[in-house]
Amino acid sequence: MKLEDYKVVFVAVGLICILLLAVPALSLAVHFPEGEKFSELWVLGSGHMAGDYPFNVNENGSYLVYLGVENHLSSSAYYEVILKFRNESEPLPNETAGVSSSSPPLYVYRVFLQDGQSWEQPLNFSFFQVSAAQNQSVVGGLTVNGVTLSVDKHAVWDDGGSGYFYELLMELWIYNVTSDASQFHNRFVGLWLNVTAA
Amino acid sequence: MLKRVLKVSGSLLLVLALVGLFSHGVFNVRGSDGASSSVGEADVAIRRAFNATLEAERAGANVSGLILRLNEAGGLLGEAEIALENGNSSEAANKAGQCVGIAESVRSDADALKASALNEAQTVFWTYLAFSVVGIAVFVVVLVLVWRRFKNGYVGKTLGMKPEVAHDEA
Repeated sequence: MKLEDYKVVFVAVGLICILLLAVPALSLAVHFPEGEKFSELWVLGSGHMAGDYPFNVNENGSYLVYLGVENHLSSSAYYEVILKFRNESEPLPNETAGVSSSSPPLYVYRVFLQDGQSWEQPLNFSFFQVSAAQNQSVVGGLTVNGVTLSVDKHAVWDDGGSGYFYELLMELWIYNVTSDASQFHNRFVGLWLNVTAA
Repeated sequence: MLKRVLKVSGSLLLVLALVGLFSHGVFNVRGSDGASSSVGEADVAIRRAFNATLEAERAGANVSGLILRLNEAGGLLGEAEIALENGNSSEAANKAGQCVGIAESVRSDADALKASALNEAQTVFWTYLAFSVVGIAVFVVVLVLVWRRFKNGYVGKTLGMKPEVAHDEA
């Protein structure tokens, strides 16, 4: 090998070593792109599986599902899971416009999660003051985790499904630091229920 | 005379009963208003505590303990709201007060954690920078010295070579 060839080898090895020595300083300035940011919201049946959801429910029964949230936003987040109760004629949240359901909130879970953390809580519910007459049913109230809530919701007989259908709707809201307010996070899950009197 | 006294006493009792009823209503409304504002304050306190926690996290602090306490405060706020809705003003105010207490302690701890994390981050920054700069400088000097030594050795070795004479056998 000639001297010039050795020089090239020295320069190459030198540059590689300089790059390695610069890694600690570069790590302070260079930020690699983060993965996709999102939040998860789910509801599981009483067996902790995506099945065995309550459907035909009545005034005497008590029902259990599990509600869960997981944070993948690369930072801590302040979530609110808002429980609503609607009939078939009331509008669902509009995913395209990012607008929540107009039904009033009944019960709120407040959840603080770090990135990658998940939360799951049981949701026990039962109905009271359920009555039906002349193709119309009324649900007077709902008990959620032992808390009595007045709903006074009406539903008409559904010929196709043969029942009086109501939906237990769970919306995910998130606190926005910039606007200092909670906003609909465009995620929701619902449980359709055929509610009958005892 | 007795009839008159009885009549006056009756009127007085009626007035007293009405005043009592009215004042009860007023105090009830005031109690409910107070609880409602306490719940509002708790809501604001939680948001501020979360903001401070987020800033501490961005500064590089470990906020897992703060998040646990925020969840506790969130649960208390929920209980206060339910109590308020059920007309239990004293319980609502009590739960809201507990929530504010936790939220404020979280906020002050978050501020302290943020300051400590920023300090630590600055130390790490200067350490890393010094390591890289000094390391590169030392390496370049060593490399140049090694190269010179190698070059001298190589040149010397080349100059010290004796030319070989090839004999033509033919």
